[in-house]
Amino acid sequence: MKTKLRESLKAGLVYGIVTIFLFLIGFTGTAANLVGKVIHFGAGGSLTPAMANLMIFLAVMGILAGYAGARAAKGQADTWSTALLRSALTGLVHGIMLASIVYLVGDLKVQGVKMTGYLPQLLPDAINQILYGMQPASAAVFHLVFMTVMGAAGGAAAHGIGRGAWRPRAAARWSAFRIGLAQRPDVLKLRANPMTRYGLYAIAVILLVLLPRLLGQYWNYTLGTIGIYVLLGLGLNIVVGLAGLLDLGYVAFFAIGSYTTALLTAPNPHHLLWSFWLTVPIGIVLAALAGILLGIPVLRMRGDYLAIVTLGFGQIIGILLKSDVLTAFTGGPKGVSGVGGPTLFGKPFASDIDFVYLIMLAVLLIVFVTNRLQNSRVGRAWEAMREDETVARAMGINVLTTKLMAFAIGAAFAGLGGVLFAARNQFTGPEDHNLMVSINVLSLLIVGGMGSIPGAIAGAFALKGLPEVLRELENYRVLAFGALLVVMMIIRPEGLIPSSRRKLEARPDKNASPGPQPEDGSKLP
Amino acid sequence: MPEPGSTHARRRFTAYRIAQTVLGVVFGGYLAWRLFDIVFVHPAYGTETWVQFAISGIVLGSVYAIIAIGYTLVYGILFMINFAHGDIMMIGAFGGYFVLEALKTIPAGTASGSGLSFLDAYPIPAIILTFAVGIFVAALSGYLLEKIAYRPLRGAPRLVPLISAIGASIFLENAGQLLFGAQRRDYANPAVLTRGSGWNIAIGAENVVLTYTGVLTFVLSVLLMVGLYVLVRRTRLGRAMRAVAENKPVAELMGIDVDGVISRTFIISGALAGAAGVMWGIHLGLVYYFVGFVPGIKAFTAAVLGGIGNIPGAMLGGLFLGVVEALGPAVLGLNFQLKDVIAFAILVLVLIFRPTGILGEVLTEDKV
Repeated sequence: MKTKLRESLKAGLVYGIVTIFLFLIGFTGTAANLVGKVIHFGAGGSLTPAMANLMIFLAVMGILAGYAGARAAKGQADTWSTALLRSALTGLVHGIMLASIVYLVGDLKVQGVKMTGYLPQLLPDAINQILYGMQPASAAVFHLVFMTVMGAAGGAAAHGIGRGAWRPRAAARWSAFRIGLAQRPDVLKLRANPMTRYGLYAIAVILLVLLPRLLGQYWNYTLGTIGIYVLLGLGLNIVVGLAGLLDLGYVAFFAIGSYTTALLTAPNPHHLLWSFWLTVPIGIVLAALAGILLGIPVLRMRGDYLAIVTLGFGQIIGILLKSDVLTAFTGGPKGVSGVGGPTLFGKPFASDIDFVYLIMLAVLLIVFVTNRLQNSRVGRAWEAMREDETVARAMGINVLTTKLMAFAIGAAFAGLGGVLFAARNQFTGPEDHNLMVSINVLSLLIVGGMGSIPGAIAGAFALKGLPEVLRELENYRVLAFGALLVVMMIIRPEGLIPSSRRKLEARPDKNASPGPQPEDGSKLP
Repeated sequence: MPEPGSTHARRRFTAYRIAQTVLGVVFGGYLAWRLFDIVFVHPAYGTETWVQFAISGIVLGSVYAIIAIGYTLVYGILFMINFAHGDIMMIGAFGGYFVLEALKTIPAGTASGSGLSFLDAYPIPAIILTFAVGIFVAALSGYLLEKIAYRPLRGAPRLVPLISAIGASIFLENAGQLLFGAQRRDYANPAVLTRGSGWNIAIGAENVVLTYTGVLTFVLSVLLMVGLYVLVRRTRLGRAMRAVAENKPVAELMGIDVDGVISRTFIISGALAGAAGVMWGIHLGLVYYFVGFVPGIKAFTAAVLGGIGNIPGAMLGGLFLGVVEALGPAVLGLNFQLKDVIAFAILVLVLIFRPTGILGEVLTEDKV
């Protein structure tokens, strides 16, 4: 019982810290706005709708805390009273922490201290909102009681759900249904029939052709961005996902592609005014060459050293582009504007719809190439090398050329992405090619699932598409990326749509080294 | 590594070695020529400027060294690059910043009678408190970082914790931006430690300023390094740390609480990063959410330079990197905007040509 109470207390502490953190970064206000969009809450009295929405959000946090508090330290089942007691304790701790911050902030505001100089999210409005229009002390007491009650409610919910044994039963029924469906003769026949596959492809192509026509300009722009990130993702997928070489300077190849197009077609700084179509192969080839050039010195490196070296390369290119040293050649910190777009049969690509089609075409091509590569001799060599370089070499794989192939092809895809990016934006500058691009592409691969083509596409949609849907959350997007990377590594290191092989190998190997100790600190025998 | 019985591989790597040597000689020769040129043939700067560069390089280098030790400690034990280490430094710097801001507003009390703030009236306790809070906050974040982001990944393939570390780094940077805003903030030093003030030393006809903050930074880092060395070499915890670095399963069989030792390693490395953050703030002045990133990477360079996993190596590497970075643009005749390129170039070159670092062979090439 004592350990269990301690675990509940800990859950309260964790949730207290999380809630306070969310308040200090201004997320509570944003979340309240979102709540307001979903539920139109008519509030009475001194409670404004904003405050009511905030209260709903905090209630959710409180219930979650209580749920976690009752769930912490699984052992023999709790009785109703212990579950309620423990979750109320969690809620109490949660409430005490939140209340003290509310009191502190409210009191400082009453005293007229300007806090925005230090914590810019503590605007007077935000403070009024969390005070619910009350005095600091009464608001604090209100929060304390509110969180305790919500915690108990969450505990009741946890206990209610936990007692019913419906969850394992439902899961078992669902998996039986899935397996049953997959093994029915007609389904098997349908799956074996190649026409089904082609039919599905046809439907997908028709959808893709129709989609840009149905969307507005803004969404087409977004779709184009997603497409470019799919290209980047598929390229990095070859380097990281298939060949297992973690490359954090991937943005350099993207920059080479986009600067090639920009410098060859733009009126400034070189006034070459080449045709866009000519720059496509040049950009791709230059990027591939750069990939080989980067690849040669790092051939013997593995794992994290490779990551750091490539990061160093990427940073060097970024600093060079940003500095005044290369202004005469690359336009310096201002970038290159007036990049020429493609023309087809004398008609210039004007709208974003045209570019979406072009990018889609490129994506389809690259998906096809990746698919063929993956199943080719070199693709299998990459995977063998990723699994164990020494063994791969023993099997007769030329590790050096195989690695260089991976770097070159991955870089070529990024070069193509860069060419399209510069042409579509009619601009390219150092800010488009900073470290965040590399990190974003890596994140989309990790979220989607390394080594898998659908994974890369799904990842691009998740990381570039979702934030556009949830525009309110724009400020918190990168923060969420970071947290997502950590969480994915812990709960699902193989990604959302993993390749079958990754699934097997990404799990921690419990026998390799002393695994996590039991939670209560007891030693293994 | 040439494999026995594989003449093909041996020949190729010999060619590789020759190419390395040739490149190294060419580069070294160029460097020597530039150095000779700039000092004797076309002297662009007087002696006092070189001394000033060297002083600022040594001070900065001592901060790098302190951060680098954190990388090396963690790498030595977990074989993992703690990518978020620079951001722990940022947290420490902010911890110190808020202490100084608070002390600035508190009056010194009736005893002193003047209108001084606590900060200016009692600078020594104020600085001690600043360091204490900065170190505490950073050590706490180091502990939490390990517990949340790395501990669940013990035994996973090596890329997995690295990606988790990158994620943690992104998270901390953005949390810093959202919490404290994007603007750069000035550290409020006590009046006696005003940045730029210091002892004037005459060299030839010119004066060189040996700043108080620089001396404080350097002395403190040396003390911390000595303290750490004693900790690792002479104490029970240090012995446990070395045992865990050597072999985790065997260390566990010897009765060492491996997870506890790893936790404490992160606390120590976080504390060092926090101290470095406060030093950074006091000496260089500006802190903001991204302040830890570049020093973090440079300190990693320093750690690699000295041979990662090797504590004296990290100290030496830090000092070396600081000095090279201060003198490099002048010696090579580069634009000063490219100062960071030098550090990154060193990183890349060292990793390519001598991944075991200057001070030796702590890791086998296979681990690299």
